[in-house]
Amino acid sequence: MQDHITEQELKERLSLIESMIAEGRRNTESWGWTFVLWGAAYYLALAWSAWGHSAWAWPVTVLIAVMVTVVVASLKGGNHPQTTLGRAIGSIWIALGISMFLLFLALGLSGRLTDRHLFVAVVSAILGMANGASALILRWKVQLACAVVWWVAAVATCFGRDAQSLVVFLVAIFLCQIAFGIYGLIAEAQVRKRRSPVHA
Amino acid sequence: MPDLPELNPVVHGRLRLALLSLLSGVEEAEFTWLRAKTEATDGNLGAQMLKLEEAGYVAVEKKFVLRKPKTLYRITATGLQALTEYVQALKQLLGPAIDT
Repeated sequence: MQDHITEQELKERLSLIESMIAEGRRNTESWGWTFVLWGAAYYLALAWSAWGHSAWAWPVTVLIAVMVTVVVASLKGGNHPQTTLGRAIGSIWIALGISMFLLFLALGLSGRLTDRHLFVAVVSAILGMANGASALILRWKVQLACAVVWWVAAVATCFGRDAQSLVVFLVAIFLCQIAFGIYGLIAEAQVRKRRSPVHA
Repeated sequence: MPDLPELNPVVHGRLRLALLSLLSGVEEAEFTWLRAKTEATDGNLGAQMLKLEEAGYVAVEKKFVLRKPKTLYRITATGLQALTEYVQALKQLLGPAIDT
């Protein structure tokens, strides 16, 4: 059949294969909004626990944030393909969510969630682990920088005073959730603009 | 002079080639995602997917999620083998011209 096929056409077919494989593997899912949502949830839980002095502040806020995430994700990402990469990244964050929810629910209910330094250190270290693992899988330097910020916050909070620990946590949340989330949203919008069609 | 390889006509179609290539990079994909990536019409996409399915290159699964029908496609081992052989044949046909 290739008697009538030109060299140009063969090259074009090869180029099509490369671009489509890359397109399929590209993570087109939009997750920037989750970082912003969870950043806002952390601020809300902090404010509630500080002024309301409630042991339920974190478990309830986290549970509501989980529900909002699940509902919005199911509405937004109906037809995204399943990839091994996507499943690996998703698994990290699902495991993180379950660990944090169970740990802080148990600590809150048992009355052992009294040391703010320890609380900030544990939360920051867990978030550093999740961001670090995701960054290493995706080879994404910006997210690795977020992981470093969380690890620094985890260490710094152990040595500062109460107010300093809170400031460190607030700054880390702003940089790694709000600012990183907005950066993600902008990057995702740019990727969507660059999409090109394929015709038969 | 060595014989030039034949290009698999099922794989060679532009849309079918795009679909196989897309599916080779994911575990499974929905009809709507494939349509968005290729900007093909429903009819054309359905017809090409049927040809790939009949050749045994893709497997289809239809299910309902939250009462909405979903058609999921995944490339089979035969399909992946056909795509690999097609790429090898292309490279052989192009020879040194591949880098120009």
